[in-house]
Amino acid sequence: MLTEDTPMDSVEKENLRRAQKYTKDAKVGEGAYAVVYKGREIATGRQVAIKKIKVGQFKDGLDMSAVREVKYLQELHHPNVIELLDVFSSKTNLNLVLEFLDGDLEMMINDKTQKFQAADMKSWMVMTLRGLEFCHRNHILHRDLKPNNLLLASDGQLKLADFGLARDFADPGLKMTCQVITRWYRPPELLFGCRYYSGGGDMWSVGCIFAELMLRTPYLPGESDVDQIKTIFRALGTPTEEEWPGYTSLPDYVSVGHFPKTPLRDLFTAASSEAINLLAKFLAYDPMRRISAREALNHAYFFQAPNATHHSRLPKCKIVSTEPEEPPTHDNAKMDLMKSLTAGPSSGRKRKSSIGHEVVSRPPALRHMDVDKHESL
Amino acid sequence: MNHIKQEDIKPALVQEEPKDALSLSAATLTTNGKKEVKKEDVDVVKPLVRESDGRKSLWQGSSQYRHWMFSQEMLLKQRTHTNETAVTAIKRAYEAEETGSSNGIEFINAQEEYALVKLYVDKISALCDHFRWTEEVEATAMTYLKRFYLKNTVMDWHPKNVMLTALFLAAKTTNQPISLDAYTSAIPKTSPSDVLDLEFLVAQSLSFEFAVWPAFRAVWGIWLDLQSLPDTRPEAIKDILNAAREHVRTARLTDAEFLYPPSQIAAGAFWLASETLTEQWAKAKGLTASELEPIKEVARMIERENEPGGRINIELVRDVDRRLRLCKNPEKIPGTNAYKRKQAAAEAAANEKRAKKLAAEQQAGSMDVDVFGEKIFIGDVKQEAKPDLGFSSGDED
Repeated sequence: MLTEDTPMDSVEKENLRRAQKYTKDAKVGEGAYAVVYKGREIATGRQVAIKKIKVGQFKDGLDMSAVREVKYLQELHHPNVIELLDVFSSKTNLNLVLEFLDGDLEMMINDKTQKFQAADMKSWMVMTLRGLEFCHRNHILHRDLKPNNLLLASDGQLKLADFGLARDFADPGLKMTCQVITRWYRPPELLFGCRYYSGGGDMWSVGCIFAELMLRTPYLPGESDVDQIKTIFRALGTPTEEEWPGYTSLPDYVSVGHFPKTPLRDLFTAASSEAINLLAKFLAYDPMRRISAREALNHAYFFQAPNATHHSRLPKCKIVSTEPEEPPTHDNAKMDLMKSLTAGPSSGRKRKSSIGHEVVSRPPALRHMDVDKHESL
Repeated sequence: MNHIKQEDIKPALVQEEPKDALSLSAATLTTNGKKEVKKEDVDVVKPLVRESDGRKSLWQGSSQYRHWMFSQEMLLKQRTHTNETAVTAIKRAYEAEETGSSNGIEFINAQEEYALVKLYVDKISALCDHFRWTEEVEATAMTYLKRFYLKNTVMDWHPKNVMLTALFLAAKTTNQPISLDAYTSAIPKTSPSDVLDLEFLVAQSLSFEFAVWPAFRAVWGIWLDLQSLPDTRPEAIKDILNAAREHVRTARLTDAEFLYPPSQIAAGAFWLASETLTEQWAKAKGLTASELEPIKEVARMIERENEPGGRINIELVRDVDRRLRLCKNPEKIPGTNAYKRKQAAAEAAANEKRAKKLAAEQQAGSMDVDVFGEKIFIGDVKQEAKPDLGFSSGDED
């Protein structure tokens, strides 16, 4: 065992000291790029998740998603952003010590035994927006918001997680990649190849999540990138030039036909008029006119009855034992935790879409792509 | 790393963080009386309102402010400590080899280390030009290199390779990654392993804190401010912007970033570019005379750097580099006995850990059944199946 007495550099010592603060108890998930362990902080007994990123296999050293995740989580300290407690390295691995979170919003949405009150949805929305407003205020774009990346703590707090695709707002005039955000939550401007954007992309995702909370099924489940555009237009109507000036000249614009506008009210029958109003603002076609996180927090929806449920009284995720007798299925907590913390491919569960047809699988996670290679070209 | 107390550094030019959006709006709505906000509405919403981040500015929440800002004394102490610890360790390594062998070695002191590091900080610009990287990469890499040598010594790690690794890492952390092959093939006499072998060490030395608040961004902010001052002509301040940018580049070769927040460094650069205009700006911002002091200090730092011979003392650096060959830590030089001994010790420790772990696993009974059978025979060669084959949790380290 290496001890403090073994001759080593102060940097190595500091690293070892960090590593020895924690124990790894059980493996809770494994993805292509990381293994997640449940562990404890020895001094306090606090439960932690240790995400071990295999770095040795990358010929270019530390990979971009690890770099991004570490860079941003080191700076972001907010009750609605997952907390990075420590980072240490072992021979060829990078270990991120994160707060341990029991479940995520996708599990919650899928668990049909849970009944959501309007006040519960308001509470999840306010927490999502607070976390996101904090990121945007720090000039950080999340770029992969989806229910699966909104983790739920045992006290009910919701936390933004998975910053593997995050980046700073680009300087004016510098291109960014449009290959970000999981397809169903990706805004139309990115589908059309827009390379200059800011927080609006994340806000569209928030809109999709809001709709999914109300519908209990993904709102815009496209089967391919082109189908995604069609799915959006089918749901919200093909945008007019006035609604979204200039969108037909975006680099990857394709015409997918003309769809009429149907009022959101027709699908979201139980929603309050303020909820519908806010949803429409999240899903505004023109990214310049889309509501910002800060504006959304000030929207009348949050000041209208019913009040948001206190996080401690929200429905709780039903956690399946982390040591199941049976082989893990896609629906148990273990897999969901793994998915949220690793880059593993998304599960292939069948779900019914909001517009009635069967959806084959969740769109693939994007993180293995070295998506920013050409960003600054 | 030393944590600096909030009162030690006053980020004079940092904006106040706005209040939480929700609490702000509740208050506005109540005072406007436009919308009825019942008292209990606010009370129920309140527990969700963030309490602890409300009082700090974004800058004060940054890792740079929390872990990489020092007073002049602390900075000196940190460097001296790093240097002295290293000298002691290297002496010990020499003595272990042969008693008395460390006598007469002229070790490098903290000031000399700093001079050598500075030379390599300066070299980063040319490399960035070559790869056409933005100023963000350049500024970040320079910061990484300087931070690295607060915790490490040139006698363990020569700044040349550390510089290359810091730059490679900075390109990644600022979103402009390049493949390792493309990187090293463009730099003479450099192999991929020169860069990769040190990447973890550099990242560790930075405490995995990759975000840097560069002063050149603050320059842009002040320039926008200047344009809104009365009586400024855009063509007149254009030159001032370029001069300020140049001064910020010079500031990167100094310790300014460890002592002052980026906004003060930028203001100091403008002070040198145009004292009158910067005074006007400070007045418009409502800065007091004492708040102008650090700005003037930054300006003096940059000026000293610009004096003849102020930048890099080539004679001294040559001498340091020559002596460095004689006082390198033998434990870090592959092939020496000291190096082999250290490797062996690390290997033994790792083996011990593996053995312990295996024992623990066997104790736990997880190894009772080996589905791959007990032994594997391949031809004449009798090979024992590794007992943990397929069962390892992958946690060998």
